[in-house]
Amino acid sequence: MQNGHLDQLDATDARTVVLERAVLATNDALAAVNRQWFADRRIVALNLVSSPGSGKTTLLERTIRDLGADLPMVVIEGDQATENDSARIRAAGARALQVNTGTGCHLEAGIIGRALDVLAPQADSLVIIENVGNLVCPALFDLGERAKVAILSVTEGDDKPAKYPYMFAVADLLVINKIDLLPYVDFDVKRCIANARAVRPGLEAIAVSAKTGENMDAWYSWIRRSRVG
Amino acid sequence: MLAKRIARGHTDLHEISVALSLLDGVRKAALEQGVERVNAVHVRVGALSGIARDALLFSWDVATADSVAQGSELRIEEIPLVVFCEHCAGERAPLPGSGLLCPECGHASPRIVHGREMQLVAMEVPA
Repeated sequence: MQNGHLDQLDATDARTVVLERAVLATNDALAAVNRQWFADRRIVALNLVSSPGSGKTTLLERTIRDLGADLPMVVIEGDQATENDSARIRAAGARALQVNTGTGCHLEAGIIGRALDVLAPQADSLVIIENVGNLVCPALFDLGERAKVAILSVTEGDDKPAKYPYMFAVADLLVINKIDLLPYVDFDVKRCIANARAVRPGLEAIAVSAKTGENMDAWYSWIRRSRVG
Repeated sequence: MLAKRIARGHTDLHEISVALSLLDGVRKAALEQGVERVNAVHVRVGALSGIARDALLFSWDVATADSVAQGSELRIEEIPLVVFCEHCAGERAPLPGSGLLCPECGHASPRIVHGREMQLVAMEVPA
């Protein structure tokens, strides 16, 4: 136990109560409830995290159009305001619930639990959680998902995993999006993956263009594998 | 107005959510112990936890207003990143900005030993 500084306390007019619990114990407990709820229904939940503007919603629109016929999907959209994203998801053909977080910068497990009550996804389906665009705090809050998917676009800089190690250190998949723009930007895909693997060794990485559809099959294969694993 | 938003966890500072969660744990413990005042709270925060010390200190003061922990001191023990390098077969502290790379041999280690901590360690209460 690393509590050497506790010894410095003046024990004469105060006493110390040892607690030793996770700071986010309440969230973690609710996330465990979600995880069991998903498992009972053989539902795979993915938590999509990224900076604003990485193309998450475009990636989802194309995924729904390409896979939706065979794989039922619902989307929980976290955003600080507006219904724009959920309107796009519904137009693509999936049920969606927008949970505006106000000025909150991340989704928490309790919000997801309430969203599941409303959406009632069917057994064997895919639940995609589009977290608030932010690379720090969504890393802290377990939602009960099967995997965290970090999405990065080539317009953002290949050193982003080094700048935001918290998120990439807990990611289960890195999706590099907008590769159709590679000829116009100074972005090295290999270097980006190396930067991500410096904080998450062995991290699987897929480079796609959600706009043109290039290499989207690799992403679809990963989704199918995640449903088996 | 601000206090109301913060009470609902609605703010851009994620340390506010962390502070409220912390306070939740402290409140429960205070009830169990039958104490009405908390002098200090000790937490352990890892370098890879994504928590900024100053932001958490600020958030603690705001979150604990009118609570059992109002005016209490938040003592943050910062835990540096330590990985187990399988290549060197030993614990190593990666250099800042180098991810999990072993500073000795350059291998990326998959095992984080310390750095993810986010623990409510203890509280000090009047005797």
